[in-house]
Amino acid sequence: MKKSISLKVLVVLLGVVFLAGVSTIAAAKEIKVGGIMDTTGATSDVGKDYAIGMSDAYKYINSQGGVNGKEIKYTWFDYGYRVPEAITKYKMLKRMGNVVIMGWGTGDTEALSPTVNKDQIPYVSASYSAHLTDPKKTPYNLFFSSDYSTNARSAITAWFDKKWSKHPDFGKRKPRFACCYMFASPYCSAPIKAIKDQAELLGFEVGPDQDVSLFALDTKSQIMALKTFKPDLLWHGNTTMSVAATVRDAYALGLGAAWIVNNWGFDENLPRLAGEAAEGVMGATPCAFFGQDVKNMDLVVSSAEKYSPGVPLGKRLNRTVQAWGDALITWEALKRADKKGIDITKKGSGPGMMKEGFETLRNYDIGLGAAPISFTATDHRPATGCRIQEWKGGKFQVVEDIDLKKRWPELWETKWLGW
Amino acid sequence: MSSVWLPCGDYHQDYAEDQGWWQTRFIKGKMILLLLAVFVGIPLFAGEYWMSVGTMVGYTAMGALGVQLLIGYSGLLTLGHAAFIAVGAYTSTMLILQFPWPQSLLDSGLAYPISIVVAGIVAGLWSVLFGLPSVKVKGFYLILTTMAAQFITVDFILTQYISQIGGRGQAFSLPPGTIKIGPWVVDNERSVYYLMAILLTLMVIVLANLLRSKPGRAWVAIRDNDIAAETLGINIVWYKLLAFFVAGFMAGIAGAFWVCNTAALSPEHFQWFLSLWLVGVILIGGVGSIQGAIFGSIFMVVVMELLQMVALPVAEYFPSILMDFAYIKDMAFGLAICAFLIYEPNGLAYRWWQAKNYFNLWPFSY
Repeated sequence: MKKSISLKVLVVLLGVVFLAGVSTIAAAKEIKVGGIMDTTGATSDVGKDYAIGMSDAYKYINSQGGVNGKEIKYTWFDYGYRVPEAITKYKMLKRMGNVVIMGWGTGDTEALSPTVNKDQIPYVSASYSAHLTDPKKTPYNLFFSSDYSTNARSAITAWFDKKWSKHPDFGKRKPRFACCYMFASPYCSAPIKAIKDQAELLGFEVGPDQDVSLFALDTKSQIMALKTFKPDLLWHGNTTMSVAATVRDAYALGLGAAWIVNNWGFDENLPRLAGEAAEGVMGATPCAFFGQDVKNMDLVVSSAEKYSPGVPLGKRLNRTVQAWGDALITWEALKRADKKGIDITKKGSGPGMMKEGFETLRNYDIGLGAAPISFTATDHRPATGCRIQEWKGGKFQVVEDIDLKKRWPELWETKWLGW
Repeated sequence: MSSVWLPCGDYHQDYAEDQGWWQTRFIKGKMILLLLAVFVGIPLFAGEYWMSVGTMVGYTAMGALGVQLLIGYSGLLTLGHAAFIAVGAYTSTMLILQFPWPQSLLDSGLAYPISIVVAGIVAGLWSVLFGLPSVKVKGFYLILTTMAAQFITVDFILTQYISQIGGRGQAFSLPPGTIKIGPWVVDNERSVYYLMAILLTLMVIVLANLLRSKPGRAWVAIRDNDIAAETLGINIVWYKLLAFFVAGFMAGIAGAFWVCNTAALSPEHFQWFLSLWLVGVILIGGVGSIQGAIFGSIFMVVVMELLQMVALPVAEYFPSILMDFAYIKDMAFGLAICAFLIYEPNGLAYRWWQAKNYFNLWPFSY
């Protein structure tokens, strides 16, 4: 009996080893793209949909012939939003010969950026930290969206333009502003300096920050602390779950302030979780919501239906669309680099991919409601502004499209790069 | 668990021989082979990935050695060790980035080595602060006071204040080439691995020697029965705090080492789970054994990596395995601890001892 169990275990193990071997041989001529995702950790409330979206996108890309006929082999891991885990996952993906890596969090992306620079592997992340946009410091970090600092500056500007002017105290006093975010999280804190700078530029009175955990379910003490400051406007820099909890508590305690939210905290789940409290909440939306009427949304929706039938379309979020955004710029960059004769199946093709691929993108429209995307050798800020939307009357409505570069051209060019 | 088997008829003739680490030529040969494998074999034959896995094993072992000293040798239960690693990491990083070093020290590559030592001392003293309650409480209550170290140190002081210094937000990033030891720049997998191997070897030597000296005997006496130890004249307050200092010092070194593996730092690197993980490491490796801390680290890092490698080809047929892999890893961690506590409470170190005995006593093992 014991022998038979051992034999079975041995057969299974040998089978796995055989499969590993076969898949390695089969993958020899493919373009290897890796992924480091969070489907179980602190940001899995938004990370799960992003991970599924990324997987859908690469299946679609392969169905279209991959990169000029070369198939993409996309391999990804969940790292549970733990930085040390991300580091070993990155090294494993590098060892496997992945030539581009799709990353996730700000903490790990920033921690990995010196290694990425050294390895010269394009790292297309879901972290839109502005710290990653200066090619002098982080030449291989990329993303398709307006960065967090641009989002934050745009959101506070849109509120100032459209809402403060209608406030009864307009012209009588300065608007009061404060930030809620998880201090310990590099994602949440990345744009804080920029948003405070913008608040001062616009003439706000800035109050004390409130530390709200990404896991927060009860934020009453933070709301009570804010009550003494009496803010007119609050920035929330977390992800949807804790944003919803804070907005709900503020509503229940009658705080009366308006909310602006970073892109990872503003999605279809916000009204589901916050209910009435979500009314009037404004957020940075660097691309369209899932299913909205934009050029390439059909591809996203039909691929979601085809490749992830287990997840109902009604449950999908704009995170899927964001994943597609990152996948589509990578696809385009790979196609361009391949056409220019760069061997993108080989390790070490990163510099060529950057020069002939990503950094040739100028006003490139991915067709998903995102601002046109450009990368140059000296500036990796993909977009110059952001669309600000509001949850109102049961749907997302556009408040204003802010273009920071047009509005403050000198500051954009000379001061705002990289923070 | 003696690890020494002298040939029949061989006796120690002096105290030095009796206390010698490598008592037979066979043992000496084995240990030289081990050191050759660590310092020559792995860097020569392992690729970058396996070297980085080795680095993670070493980092885990450095942290686990301190936990082993506290729990395994001194009986002082701790669940806040990540905080002391964090103190070491931040002290080293802050010193490198913010301290006004004289240019000559920077040029001669002394800033980082000095910062390692300072990091160890600061983390050791910080650890003593949270070890103070051990004078009054033990067991479950001590777990809670050490957990407080995590919340006070990482979630409050480092997050709210220290990590804000320099205007970089929460993450410090060290420019390439900053970490230098003399002329040696620690900036790639191989150099990081070597640094780990050197530091870990030194830490093992120091701890092993401490354990066979007066403090070591006192720690074990306190672990076995602190009241009896006190009646024997052992100053248990002093030795408990010394244990916290040494464990904290080692954690500080581990933290200072971690900086060169990432070249960046954030409070997110030192979550409470790391403390729990390190306790799991010594439970699996064997409580009360230096080898145990290393065996546990190898098991927890390498087995998890192998598990991942198995998951990859399987994911071709069951894609959801990748989505749930972190759960599977956490489950494997929990399962391993349960299985070891039930079936091998003395951990891998005991198995290793049994295996050695089997060969040493063969053909008369029974």
